[in-house]
Amino acid sequence: MKRFILPAAIVIAVFMAFIPGFASDTMIQFWINALLLATLAQAWNILGGFGGYVSFGNSVFYGLGTYGTGIAMATYHLPFGVGLAIGVVLAVIGAAVVGLPILRLRGPYFAIATLGLNGAMLAIFSNLSIANKNIGLVLPLTRNDTMFYELSLGLLVLCTATVWWVSRSRYGMGLIAIREDEDAAGTMGVNATLYKVTALILASVFTAVAGGIHAYWFTFVDPASAFDSTLNVRMVIMCVFGGPGTVFGPVVGSFVLSAVYEILAAQISTAAALLFGLVIVLAVIFMPRGLADVVGRGRALSWRYFVRNITENRL
Amino acid sequence: MVLAQILLNGVLLGGLYGLMALGMALVWGVLNIVNLSHGALIMLGGYVTYYLFTLAGIDPFVALPIAMVIMFCFGFALQWGVLNLIVRSKMLNTLLITFGLQVVLTFTAQLLFTADFRTINPTYAGNNFPVGGLTVSVVRLAAFLVAIALASILWFVLNRLPLGRAIRATAQNLTAARLYGVNPRVLYAVTFGIGTALAGAAGGLYGMISNLTPYIGASLTAKSFVIAIIGGLSNPFYVIFGGIFVGIAESLTALYIGPTYTDVISFGLLVVVLVVRPSRAVRAA
Amino acid sequence: MSAQPIPHDAAPKAGRTVIETRGLTRRFGGLVSVNNVDLVIAENETLGLIGPNGAGKTTLVNMISGTLAPSEGEVLFEGQVINDVPAFRRAHLGIARTFQVMKPFHGMTVLENVTVGALFGRNGGQKNMADAREKAREWLEFTGLGGKIEINADSLGGPDRKRLEFAKALAMEPRLLLLDEVMAGLNPVEVTEVVELIKKIRGQGRALLIIEHVVAAIRSLSDRIMVLHHGEKIADDDPATVLEDPRVIEAYLGKRRQ
Repeated sequence: MKRFILPAAIVIAVFMAFIPGFASDTMIQFWINALLLATLAQAWNILGGFGGYVSFGNSVFYGLGTYGTGIAMATYHLPFGVGLAIGVVLAVIGAAVVGLPILRLRGPYFAIATLGLNGAMLAIFSNLSIANKNIGLVLPLTRNDTMFYELSLGLLVLCTATVWWVSRSRYGMGLIAIREDEDAAGTMGVNATLYKVTALILASVFTAVAGGIHAYWFTFVDPASAFDSTLNVRMVIMCVFGGPGTVFGPVVGSFVLSAVYEILAAQISTAAALLFGLVIVLAVIFMPRGLADVVGRGRALSWRYFVRNITENRL
Repeated sequence: MVLAQILLNGVLLGGLYGLMALGMALVWGVLNIVNLSHGALIMLGGYVTYYLFTLAGIDPFVALPIAMVIMFCFGFALQWGVLNLIVRSKMLNTLLITFGLQVVLTFTAQLLFTADFRTINPTYAGNNFPVGGLTVSVVRLAAFLVAIALASILWFVLNRLPLGRAIRATAQNLTAARLYGVNPRVLYAVTFGIGTALAGAAGGLYGMISNLTPYIGASLTAKSFVIAIIGGLSNPFYVIFGGIFVGIAESLTALYIGPTYTDVISFGLLVVVLVVRPSRAVRAA
Repeated sequence: MSAQPIPHDAAPKAGRTVIETRGLTRRFGGLVSVNNVDLVIAENETLGLIGPNGAGKTTLVNMISGTLAPSEGEVLFEGQVINDVPAFRRAHLGIARTFQVMKPFHGMTVLENVTVGALFGRNGGQKNMADAREKAREWLEFTGLGGKIEINADSLGGPDRKRLEFAKALAMEPRLLLLDEVMAGLNPVEVTEVVELIKKIRGQGRALLIIEHVVAAIRSLSDRIMVLHHGEKIADDDPATVLEDPRVIEAYLGKRRQ
């Protein structure tokens, strides 16, 4: 079964490129959001899934990408491509500046340090006059959902290809070794600091581009939507639900949860957010290796799998 | 004089901060769970106190012990029914599940209590009295004293009662704890219950001093974490001192840099503390 | 020189110094775990390190492999002071170790575990995955795990985990190999197997440091034996001389006979 996954994924990606040809406007808009969220989850997967470092602060890179594009296009009337590049540069600098001190921290210390990042950036950008403080920026309007759709799809494909490379490279082996036992990895020659910081930088690039695309599509940027802490909730949950440390798990997890969210949000948006929390609680208890592991078991799967996950970890 | 007043406010607020972190430090030190839903539990305790006051008409300081009992039961059930299932799993998974619980609690609160600001406002809320040229708010002083009292009680329980010895034995070694004849599942649930009750008390006091909304959890978790690290996990009074330190730092930030930066300062303190004392961070990981 | 003939495999004559420590000291609070220890191991040489529990053996290894910083003194690798060199770079220089508490990477297969060693060892290891895997296979074959390469590392039994530790360290192609109690917890038959394994890897230019409790085994494997007691070196000579030294017998061997 395993060898069919890659060809199947390519076929699906090619098929998805033709969706704008026949889908409705609302459908395309749903897919743009779903593709961008999947990119965030997939980017989070690099450090979180492979390296085992849970970041609750990746929304900061999304915000930097958003503002880089927003400031370039709204304030300086530069083209979109230049805006994206500025956003990426800002995010990479941010990842390096933030990553070097806090990636020295292990486990919960790192996670909590990232928890404060979004709030800190929100406060800074709300007071920054180049970003028009907390009023926000309005970008030039471009009504071309097909273009935004194809851009988002291309970004997700690129991000997934990167993760595919990570999963079978020397670099990825180093990250996994760090996840399993950082001290042992170090004595075996893995430069843990370098690997962790580059993983965060890699994640920041894709996250920032997603933010830039969303900014141009949405034509409006303000601190609250750029540095939105619920984005962290969503990307982490989608990745963990789908299968952290796998190539396609985060993508599938995102698509499934985006669809569920869309259906529920039409009724009550609070209920949809609540469901996300429940999903992660149940996923950690019953399928800690994610949807990918459940599906990968194929017919061998039975209720015993879920029971075993509990008996292995309960007190 | 302004500075003295600011420092006094910082100290009084810091006592409450210390109380917030007390439950987190206890659960972390004994159960090795970094509870990311701790702030949401504080929030929940605030609402419980609020409704005991507004609906049942109970004075908030009298309602506090009642709220603590309710929160203890809630925490006990949470550990027994959910967290005990993954306690032996990787630290990564306990982080993720408590993060999920935080989301669940936040949005359940939003459904039940709406997103409106709530403040616990007894008649004496605005009262204050002068001491040597400084103004002391009655509620803030009372909150500070309650925090000290609860830290003292926790210290007494941990160091003088058989239950405390069993809890401390668990922190050292799970198998040793079995020698005390206590079922570890119950002991874990009791410990988490105590941590939740302390969070509940902190929430009730927070509601008298500041505004309650369903969304305050995440930043209170981060704040509690910072204080738990500064104060350490071993002695309740050190945690209170940690809280006072952060309280003073926040008050000074608000005065000299600007009130919007108070959240940034706890984050900055966290990074500074961790970078200055990295050995500790590595050992506990 | 020796009072009685001992079974002792003649190793090639020792050459250049690989590792040296000068006045190495480590304190934990008020406790001195390792006190002013000088140690030298040359190419092709095997040094046995013995001493009672808590004598500071593992602390010494930790300072050489770079997981612990010394309080005083120097660590020199091939003549260069490496006190400030982080653990991963020491691995690139050619220092490899096994852990007393075995640390396989849990989520990986046996082959993947050893591949990590081949990918990141001396000189930064193999850059190519296929080459690294091939090398890992060879070392697994060598250590007798050739039939179990696709098994998850978690499901290996005790003796096989020791072999895995060996294979991981050897795949790094080290110049200096630090073996921390690789025979602890094994039965006599398994001990013999491990002794044979170590005999196979002696020489070939490597320097070996073996920490062990099984005196018979270490006597047959070592060119020299060093004894630590309360963190201090109390003997460092050829095995026969050391094992007859009254101070050593009193500090360590005597106690074991009681």
